[in-house]
Amino acid sequence: MSVEKVSLPDALSNVDVLDELPLPDHQPCIEAQPCSIVYQANFDTNFEDRNGFVTGIAKYIEEATVHAGLNDLLEEGNEHAVMLYTWRCCSRAIPQPKSNEQPNRVEIYEKTVEVLAPEVNKLLNFMRFQRTAIERFCMEVKRLCHAEKRKDFVSEAYLLTLGKFINMFAILDELKNMKSSVKNDYSTYRRAAQFLKVMSDSQALQESQNLSMFLATQNKIRDNLKENLEKIPNYEDLLADVVNICVTMFDSKMYLTPSEKHMLVKVIGFALYLIDTQNCNIYKLDQKKKIRLEKIDRIFKNLEVVPLFGDMQIAPFNYVKRSKQFDQSKWPLCSATGTLSSQADLNKYLPQIRDDHIKYISELARYSNEVTTTFKEAPRTDTENEEISELALRGLQLLSEWTSVVSELYSWKLLHPTDQHQNKDCPVDAEEYERATRYNYTDEEKFALIEVIAMIKGLQVLMARMETVFTEAIRRNIYAKMQTFVQNTLREPLRKAVKNKKDLIRSILVSVRETCADWIRGYKPEDDPAMKGKKDPDTGFDIKVPKRNVGPSSTQLYMVRTMLESLIADKSCAKRTLRKDIDGQYLIAIDQFHKNSFYWNFLLNFSESLQQCCDLSQLWYREFYLEMTMGKRIQFPIEMSMPWILTDHILKTKEPSMMEYVLYPLDLYNDSAHYALTVFRKQFLYDEVEAEVNLCFDQFVYKLSEQIFMYYKQLAASILLDKRFKEECQAQETYFAYPRANRYETLMKQRHVQLLGRSIDLNKLITQRINVDLLRSLELAITKFQGGDLTGIVELDGILSVNRLTHKLLKKCLNGLDDFEWMLREANHNILAPYGRITLHVFCELNYDFLPNYCYNAATSRFVRSLGLSFADPTHREKPPQMAHHYLWGSKQLNLAYTNIFSQYTGFIGSPHLRALVRLLGYQGIAVVMQEVLKVIKSLITGGIYQFTKTLMDAMPKTCKMPLYDYGSPGILGFYQENLNDIVQYPDAKMDLFQHFREVGNALLFCLLVEQSLSQEEVCDLLHAAPFQNIFPRPYCKEGEKPEAKQKRLEAKYAALHIIENIEKYGTEKQRNLARDGDLLTKERLCCGLSIFEVILNRIREFLSDSIWTGPPPTNRVMNVEECSEFHRLWSALQFVYCIPVGENEFTVEQLYGEGLNWAGCAIIVLLGQQRRFEALDFCYHILRVQRADGKDEHVKGIHLKRMVDRIRRFQVLNSQIFAVLNKYLKASYTDGDMPVEHVRCFQPPIHKSVAEASVPTGTMTLDRNHSQYHRPDIRNMVQAPIHTPQY
Amino acid sequence: MPHREDFQKQIQQDWANREYIEVITGSIKRIADFLNSFDLSCRSRLAMLNERLTSLERKIEYLEAWISKGEALA
Repeated sequence: MSVEKVSLPDALSNVDVLDELPLPDHQPCIEAQPCSIVYQANFDTNFEDRNGFVTGIAKYIEEATVHAGLNDLLEEGNEHAVMLYTWRCCSRAIPQPKSNEQPNRVEIYEKTVEVLAPEVNKLLNFMRFQRTAIERFCMEVKRLCHAEKRKDFVSEAYLLTLGKFINMFAILDELKNMKSSVKNDYSTYRRAAQFLKVMSDSQALQESQNLSMFLATQNKIRDNLKENLEKIPNYEDLLADVVNICVTMFDSKMYLTPSEKHMLVKVIGFALYLIDTQNCNIYKLDQKKKIRLEKIDRIFKNLEVVPLFGDMQIAPFNYVKRSKQFDQSKWPLCSATGTLSSQADLNKYLPQIRDDHIKYISELARYSNEVTTTFKEAPRTDTENEEISELALRGLQLLSEWTSVVSELYSWKLLHPTDQHQNKDCPVDAEEYERATRYNYTDEEKFALIEVIAMIKGLQVLMARMETVFTEAIRRNIYAKMQTFVQNTLREPLRKAVKNKKDLIRSILVSVRETCADWIRGYKPEDDPAMKGKKDPDTGFDIKVPKRNVGPSSTQLYMVRTMLESLIADKSCAKRTLRKDIDGQYLIAIDQFHKNSFYWNFLLNFSESLQQCCDLSQLWYREFYLEMTMGKRIQFPIEMSMPWILTDHILKTKEPSMMEYVLYPLDLYNDSAHYALTVFRKQFLYDEVEAEVNLCFDQFVYKLSEQIFMYYKQLAASILLDKRFKEECQAQETYFAYPRANRYETLMKQRHVQLLGRSIDLNKLITQRINVDLLRSLELAITKFQGGDLTGIVELDGILSVNRLTHKLLKKCLNGLDDFEWMLREANHNILAPYGRITLHVFCELNYDFLPNYCYNAATSRFVRSLGLSFADPTHREKPPQMAHHYLWGSKQLNLAYTNIFSQYTGFIGSPHLRALVRLLGYQGIAVVMQEVLKVIKSLITGGIYQFTKTLMDAMPKTCKMPLYDYGSPGILGFYQENLNDIVQYPDAKMDLFQHFREVGNALLFCLLVEQSLSQEEVCDLLHAAPFQNIFPRPYCKEGEKPEAKQKRLEAKYAALHIIENIEKYGTEKQRNLARDGDLLTKERLCCGLSIFEVILNRIREFLSDSIWTGPPPTNRVMNVEECSEFHRLWSALQFVYCIPVGENEFTVEQLYGEGLNWAGCAIIVLLGQQRRFEALDFCYHILRVQRADGKDEHVKGIHLKRMVDRIRRFQVLNSQIFAVLNKYLKASYTDGDMPVEHVRCFQPPIHKSVAEASVPTGTMTLDRNHSQYHRPDIRNMVQAPIHTPQY
Repeated sequence: MPHREDFQKQIQQDWANREYIEVITGSIKRIADFLNSFDLSCRSRLAMLNERLTSLERKIEYLEAWISKGEALA
């Protein structure tokens, strides 16, 4: 394999090209910095390269060596602290021998030793370490406190390192005190080891004894340290220096990360504790102005509690309080009770934080926009670099400040747990940790925390994006600043020092220059007059400073700063101060440089600093509280975990302004996991974080998708809620507000959320769950429908519409949602089975409830449940299950509203129901239902009705004449009453037979009305389709306007809508065919005029083939007049029966059966072709006719004639209407031109006897022949005259 | 003092070397940034693709069930 050589410029230009690749990512950024790769270069050498700077002052190079050693110790100390903090009790898991006789106890002890030995080793190392560290620290103190040395200056860096040591001791001591499990584990080990006699030599035994004592004695490290320090004379002066530098740094904000800030406070506290002994008193030091207690008092009050390590806190003031010579009067602020420390009140900081945030990100946006949108030919000027560098520092400081606010509040809360008196929600038996976290924050505090965390994480993302811009500007700025200062600014003091022969100052200044100057072209300018103490020539001595993209190395910076510090150090006790030999203006310049350069280290390690300033990992760690449960808890539930408490708070309150922040609290887990991996380096901690994240994230997605679904359901239901209903409710002070607009869309757009190194497609997860929710919603809607009668179909249609709208709204964001119609089919079980649940239930309800129990009334076009009697068995329906509000209409209030609205439809079945039914069933469902209804009709006609007809025909009089008018109406009524007595008295007539007829009639009416509803739906469809088919309503024309021209204009205007034309133009062959077919199908429906009802009627006609319906052919070969063999005669008899007025408290047939009864009778009559005969010969009609003429009113055998006649009249009208409708349908398909052939037979008029007798002698021709000749042409196709309804 | 000037040169050289290292480091940082953006962009696009595929799969499943009317499942 050959290695291709790439030159550096090529390689760099390759990197430049990367920026030009478009990498679209369309999701809004609402999460913390997502990065799969983190690249952090660390150039910290820990003074390894100190020997390279031999040109520097030797003393500081030596000091660097000391620093390096001390730093190593600090690092080791930190490892021990981690070891102690993350210690989990082992002995609890180890079985203990119960008695000395236990046979396997040796084995148990051996295993115990084997398991615990490595752990105990760590403890031994820890003990040895603290010993060495204390020794080393005391040695340093002793060296610096030496009487001669005291006069000299001790550098800021040195004092700070000593401070770090003090901090380390404080931490280690507290950790050791707190961890009782360490002691328990060690005693378990010791018992086992002593039993097995593992420790044979005396040294090991002694060490073990020491360790035992060390672990058992509280405050051992602290006391050891104090004891050793007290032996050093004047150590308090040095510690006072340490305290003072910490106070100064704290006050002038010379720190960057929150942990540095907290360290300063801890050091002040612990150092004061160390100073305060029998011999030395801090109050005396205060008097001598060696320390300033009033300043410290203020610091301690503002920061009552600081994080010590993980979830351990410390109140620094307690160090002072516990000291022997505590004087309360010197600590007015800290001792005052009642005033709350400012760290406990986050809301106080919030407005300022918000303000800073807005201001800062606007400023940042200026640069980031410039970087992303423009390409700059020229490199940035020094001023620009300085500005950007300052911007970066300000950003880091802001982030650090906010992080401090959060962690300080958290610490304060941990140290001030709530109880049931302070928080009503807190149960009496709440755990310690719960009281410190879960119940310890008000809603406002949680929101404030979330907001601040969101600002921290959000700004971190923005700054990290700008990192390459920042770092380049930072390096260039620092380089320029440093070189200008060293090469130019320092010339003047140098000149002066040379001139005045101040050799020490001169040598320091020269060292500074030589340590870090980067001369142009590599050479120091020759003959610089300043070096000789001479004035510059009049033309000036021009020094050009080069430009580079690099900062000083860490050691270099340390050297320069320390050497400069030694020039300006102002030490009251030291006599040898150099300040007086330097002019004031140069002192200021040097001081300024020294101050500014303090932050350079942080800036040069921008990436690391940024990360540390935003680290909120400690909000999760709770080793201290776990330790306190003494093994009762292995881990705390998520309800007590800060990240989840905050996340859940957003989900619970559904606060729209917070919704977009919901991913930020989850990012705390990223911080914690990162910390577990990189700092604690403990697998089990990472595993625990991971387990919690798994649990929380499931909860999160579950809760989120549920509320998204609920929100959109409520929105849809509110949109569709009847406006007038809303208004009416408003009048009664019930208000229906739309759900508060929430920002779920942003969340739904998230396709890659980073959590513990995993990338999660939130959109997909929400889609999955909402798919399920929607389906469940539809299923439940149908189940609810199945649990009620047919009237529920309107509500079902309503619920489905709301779900459809919900789906439509959600689909905008969740593209992966299934097609709504398909979902509906699935819920309806209509994919695998030919008929869905809705269709089946509709049919069931028709069959078992609607047909037998409902009464039709043409006046209202409605069916209502028959009063009183029910002729069918009561229908059993499964009770629908209880369902959550969001599966129905969205909320309790909406559910109530809609239930009210739809309760209006429960009392009847009319056109709204049928419209809904038609929509829901579709063509296929309607066809099925009709088919089944036909079967019902068939079984009724050929079954029950047939049987009854047969029986009743026998009960009918064989003949029943039409009595002459002369008898008068009462007579005629009496006559019929007499003749039809058998029928009137027939027991089952009213009950079963009428019931059968009602069912047939209802079935017929159902088919008729369904078709009407279907037509209305179709008309709507067609109207909607019309503009796409180039069909327009006739335009309105004023006088003089040409309709054609207007029509043309309309067509031109909407040409883009015309589907066929457009597809012909642009589509493929296949599309063209499809479009044409579709168009044809749509148009066909309109003009074909097919009728379902007609088909139904014709089918029913087929069921009436039996002779029972028609009787034998008329004996007179023309028609039956008096004979009662045809069905219409029976119907007349039945009509007579139901026209008899009923008594009080009895139900009429209308009430019991409705008009279905009449429809059935009339339909059969029409289908049998007996309508005319019925109308002519009906018994009741005859009574009516005669009564109209004679106007009599009597009681005939208990029947009130007038009332009966009124009833007859009403039924006559009804019958005529029914006949008219039926005939319209039956004849509908004939147009004028092609009427069916009706064979009309013409009969001779009957010849009266006398005429017959008279004519016999005159003619021999048979009547038939004569007349047949004459009339033959009459037997022809005749146009059927329109049927006139009888009018009386 | 030639000795002193040697050190001077070394420090000078150190500046140059460290600048070179910074350039390389900066470039690696930019590559890392690029990879991160690339990662996000790819994830976003793959998620879209995945969504479409899932949706197609579900459609096929549905259609199969519909056409077979449950025969395949029986």
